Amino acid sequence: MADVVNVGVNLEAFSHAISGIQALRSSVSRVFEFLKDGMKNRETLEGREKQFIAEFQDNLQAVNRDLNELERLSGLVGRPSESHPLHNSGLLSLDPVQDKTPLYSQLLQAYKWSNKLQYHAGLASSLLNQQSLKRSANQMGASAKRRPKVQPSTLVLPPQYVDDVISRIGRMFPDMTIELFRPNGTSAVLLVTLGKVFKALLVMRSLFIDRTLVRGYNENNYNEDGKLDIWTKSKYQVFQKVTDHASTALLHYQLPQMPDVVVRSFMTWLRSYIKLFQSPCQRCGRFLQDGLPPTWRDFRTLEAFHDTCRM
Amino acid sequence: MEAPPVAVMPVTGGTINMMEYLLQGSVLDQALESLLHRLRGLCDNMEPETFTDHELVYLLKGQQGNPFILRARRSLSHPTSPWHLRYLGQPEVGDKSRHALVRNCVDVAASHSLPEFLNEMGFRMDHEFVANGHIFRKGAMKVVVSKLSRILVPGNTENTERLSLSCLVELSLLAPAGQDTASEEMRSFAEQLKPLVHLEKIDPSKQRH
Amino acid sequence: MSLMRSELHFSNVSFCSVCQVPVAEGKSVQHTVDVLHKKLEQMGSVKQGSFCVDCETYHATNVSGQPSKLLYVMHNSETPRSCMALYEGGPCIVADANFDVLMVKLKSHFQNAKGHKVECRGSRYRYCDFLIKVGTVTMSSSARGISVEVEYCPCVVPGDCWNLMKEFMQSFLGPSVPELPSVFATKPEGLFAQAEIVDTMTQYLELFNKLRKSQIPGSNVR
Repeated sequence: MADVVNVGVNLEAFSHAISGIQALRSSVSRVFEFLKDGMKNRETLEGREKQFIAEFQDNLQAVNRDLNELERLSGLVGRPSESHPLHNSGLLSLDPVQDKTPLYSQLLQAYKWSNKLQYHAGLASSLLNQQSLKRSANQMGASAKRRPKVQPSTLVLPPQYVDDVISRIGRMFPDMTIELFRPNGTSAVLLVTLGKVFKALLVMRSLFIDRTLVRGYNENNYNEDGKLDIWTKSKYQVFQKVTDHASTALLHYQLPQMPDVVVRSFMTWLRSYIKLFQSPCQRCGRFLQDGLPPTWRDFRTLEAFHDTCRM
Repeated sequence: MEAPPVAVMPVTGGTINMMEYLLQGSVLDQALESLLHRLRGLCDNMEPETFTDHELVYLLKGQQGNPFILRARRSLSHPTSPWHLRYLGQPEVGDKSRHALVRNCVDVAASHSLPEFLNEMGFRMDHEFVANGHIFRKGAMKVVVSKLSRILVPGNTENTERLSLSCLVELSLLAPAGQDTASEEMRSFAEQLKPLVHLEKIDPSKQRH
Repeated sequence: MSLMRSELHFSNVSFCSVCQVPVAEGKSVQHTVDVLHKKLEQMGSVKQGSFCVDCETYHATNVSGQPSKLLYVMHNSETPRSCMALYEGGPCIVADANFDVLMVKLKSHFQNAKGHKVECRGSRYRYCDFLIKVGTVTMSSSARGISVEVEYCPCVVPGDCWNLMKEFMQSFLGPSVPELPSVFATKPEGLFAQAEIVDTMTQYLELFNKLRKSQIPGSNVR
């Protein structure tokens, strides 16, 4: 409400200021008018010049007076548009029907969010950059320097090439069927059916596996509208565990220069789950621990262990 | 999958005493397009639905009386969907003013082992045919326009021959017994299809030769 | 007419094993059931409602002379909209609940053997991905035995997880664990065919028939 009253007071100052501006304009135009007319006819040249200069000075003084007056008035008017941190959008706060259109508070909220997001994204990006350097140093040693050049090109592989690599991998493992979908643009989603054990969804970005989700053989992989469901996790604890381990494996198998080798190694590892329910744990020799079969597969030997029995 | 409390669950399920209200007619192939056009306009707005079904009619002969008839249908266009087993009772006599044929009806969805199972029960296949055509819906009413073909080699649905140069048009509705407003609704709908097709109350038991 | 929408459970059923648990010497059926419940709860199983499996017996009336084969119509509360009809060792179908209505229509050809109605009721327990159902089998209102059904929900192939299942059953039934249900062993596709709802029902039917033939052990009836 205070804002509204302020505006009311300022309105008067505004009208004064406007007439001030009009006065200033007319006095300025009088100066030019006078200059255009030139010197008036007088008896002596000296008289002419004297007269002219005196009148010119009067006119300029009038301009000066009006200008001062305007400056004084403009101080009264204030600067509503600049008094808000969000500049012109601050005018939204003047909307008297705040309750119906809470635009301004929403805007402030959004602004805070976007600031925060930018800040966090910056932090995350710097952290991730450090990590990726470490990983590549482990895997590739000296060639790490070349990586920044290589990576962008492997991210824009033609879909045809991706299809070829996937179908070649599919032929390598007869007990695994791989279906390839492109639900949104060029990024592929693979639905890997492993025997009658489980189905794994792999969300790809070019040839990099971004995300994986393992569900039971008898669970539904499609939404009601017939689209692939890449979010809902399995209702079975055993496949939730396998999903966790598969995500770990995605981080383990990394070789940014040769993404096809990574996919192949990951698939080889995933295939070792064909005996998920059949192999006892290599350490404790039992099938079940807390109701779960051995869900961990060693990255190197592919041996089966319970989550708690692994080294 | 949470099971409901056992106490509230009936031991035998199903809907007892469902009645089929039926009107039948036929239309020559030449007039089919205009009938379909009319139906598209009159019926509920839905994707045009077509079907190709294989129907087998089974008889179970008792020591006396009429044989017990069951109709088993399967979709040829959707081979994975369940079989449809149907029992149709004798048409109800009585109320002559009723506009549609009324008979008891039991619809059962069944798994694909149905023919083998019916054989084990003592049923024998009497005849079979292929029906293909269009389905329309208007509220609870169903309009089926189908071409019937006989099967030349038993069991081979590829090798068929049209029975006639006209299409069977059936207007039917399923309702619990005693809902006679249904037949009124059907009659007024049938009126709207005239003169393209005349849907009538035809008693199949009087059609035997 | 091609428009049937139904909720039949044809496949996608996980592996179930049904077995009979002998009633402890000199104890009642209820006592043995209570002991099993306690064991399951000690393991950390959580009770999740109840279940019911029932079975009606029909025989054909129109076959003169030789005794006709019995037709069994069964229901399972896990698939409440379905109805399973089977011949022992013969063909079977899964149908919707209207099949019961059809059997009423067929009553002049198939007679319901009223005294043969069997029911199995009890509690469901969940332990991790296992579903355990302990039931009391009753025939004409007398308790005849105890059934234990164990289902390993994530697995659809019996051959894959039988050993795992056996280990689990030993953990609460003791060393006297049954052999692999014969219904799986006799399948033409072998142990690696997908389990179906009918396999579970066949096991219940075998159990019911075994209990029906056995003498009522007088002291064990509640």
